[in-house]
Amino acid sequence: MNERVKARTALGTAIVLVLLAPWVLDQPYWRGILVVCAMNVLLALSLNLVLGYTGQLNLGQSAFFGIGAYVSTLLIKSYGWNFWLAALVAVGAAGLLGLALAAFAVRLRGHYLAIASLGFAVITYQVLVNWENVTQGVRGIYGIMPPVASTTALFYLVAGIAVLVYVLIGNLVRSPIGETLRAIREDEVSAASLGINAALWKAFAFGIGAAIAGLAGCFYPGFVGTLVPDAFNIVESFTMLAMVIVGGMGTMIGPVIGAIVLTFLPELLRGFGELRLMIYGLALTLVVLFMPGGMVQAWMALRARIR
Amino acid sequence: MDGIARAHTVILQAKEMSKSFGGVRAVQNVSIAVPANSIFALIGPNGAGKSTLLNLLSGIYQPDAGSLHFDENNLIGLPAHRRVRLGIARTFQKIRLFKQLTLLENVLAGFHIHQDAPFWKYLVYGNTGRFREEARELLAFVGLEARSGERAGALPYGKQRMLEIARALATQPRLFMLDEPAAGLNAAEVDFLLKRLEQISRRGVTVIVVEHNMDLVMNVAHRVFVMDHGEPLFEGTPREVQANPRVIEAYLGGEFAP
Repeated sequence: MNERVKARTALGTAIVLVLLAPWVLDQPYWRGILVVCAMNVLLALSLNLVLGYTGQLNLGQSAFFGIGAYVSTLLIKSYGWNFWLAALVAVGAAGLLGLALAAFAVRLRGHYLAIASLGFAVITYQVLVNWENVTQGVRGIYGIMPPVASTTALFYLVAGIAVLVYVLIGNLVRSPIGETLRAIREDEVSAASLGINAALWKAFAFGIGAAIAGLAGCFYPGFVGTLVPDAFNIVESFTMLAMVIVGGMGTMIGPVIGAIVLTFLPELLRGFGELRLMIYGLALTLVVLFMPGGMVQAWMALRARIR
Repeated sequence: MDGIARAHTVILQAKEMSKSFGGVRAVQNVSIAVPANSIFALIGPNGAGKSTLLNLLSGIYQPDAGSLHFDENNLIGLPAHRRVRLGIARTFQKIRLFKQLTLLENVLAGFHIHQDAPFWKYLVYGNTGRFREEARELLAFVGLEARSGERAGALPYGKQRMLEIARALATQPRLFMLDEPAAGLNAAEVDFLLKRLEQISRRGVTVIVVEHNMDLVMNVAHRVFVMDHGEPLFEGTPREVQANPRVIEAYLGGEFAP
């Protein structure tokens, strides 16, 4: 099978799975989890572009998720904007802030960038908590309507966008831009010796990554119905990080699988009550310990051994 | 070779360049004029400042003092990635390949400055296949076409050096600088490298090569610039360098003494 046929088959399969999912998991509760899952896929894809392909250890992704959520909600609630127009502006705002964070990434590497980006997420969170005139702080914003009426429709909408984003990012990383980003990930000095302006392309990756996280954020408030800063706590950044790493960073399908597994695993563990988080943590540790390249790489290694 | 009449236009000119790190004067008052289309060798004992000089020329470091021109372009203050667009490429003493990428992807990354398709084409079509043929030709040029799909990090040392050369050539340079390309190569590989350097030169590319391998230097270089303790020691043809008592004392020892 050639590449193109393979890609079409994969896309077809993904679309069928998305269409069937709400009818397999047909209780309202599980349909809600599906919406969360689709949002998490978007978030994992967004972080993967920055972390997996460009090699920038960014722990500020929760901030862009939050900015997307707050900017879109405030434009709708306070100014009566249409959802899509508000979403467009929110995505732009998140993207611009992504560029701002990229300014740090130009000067900082590895752990230092991780700390700076974490600080960025903490500051954003504190602004959401303390700027009460605008954000209502911890009291929260209530009665937010989703852009579409039913949970199933919302799932189809977000999952459809996730599939589209997946295809677009997939094309991007297969294009010469993908080689440029991975060159920066592998060796910046070497990339510069080929004429690659690392600062520019890091800004590109951060900007797009932030915009996609912001896009995911636009759907969150309408789904929950309320908006509080806690949803964008820095812990969310680590959840996204876990999805990307568990799935397999720097691959396209890895973070998607990571997002799906880490969305459903805690739900499936509910039966264990108090033990739930311990088992979840243990599972994460085991994956990182024994599958250093994530689930996708472990699968490929397994398949190679069977053949 | 050194008797062949060549155009005497200077393609790269450095005047009184200096660079210190803390208290260490790595390069002091170095002036060089590299003739266009020549193979220009930089030699000297370890710590003579050859690699620092190359880093100054390629823009990894900026000099503390001095001037630097490539053709009519003033290079001072220009970052490394901008110099590549003027036609300056280089390889590294300590190999710096993109180890997780395939050989083909390494070379394709080298075509970065020549990629000219509009952004939307990448979003819609992904890989446009542009420069794929050229990249394969470059891999063939360094004898690696059969391994184009392998990861660069899996190559043996000598092949990694050749891949780095192919990758740098993808930028289509007019000035190509190599930092100890023969280090770690076996005799057959040095021979292959030598032939390739001459071919590159014959295509009109000016070559600057930092090298310890005297066979290679004496066989291919038109001009040799000798450095010691960060300062220029001597400059001349390979024959003049071999005969110079100061060079023999500082560097060559008895090896090439008449």
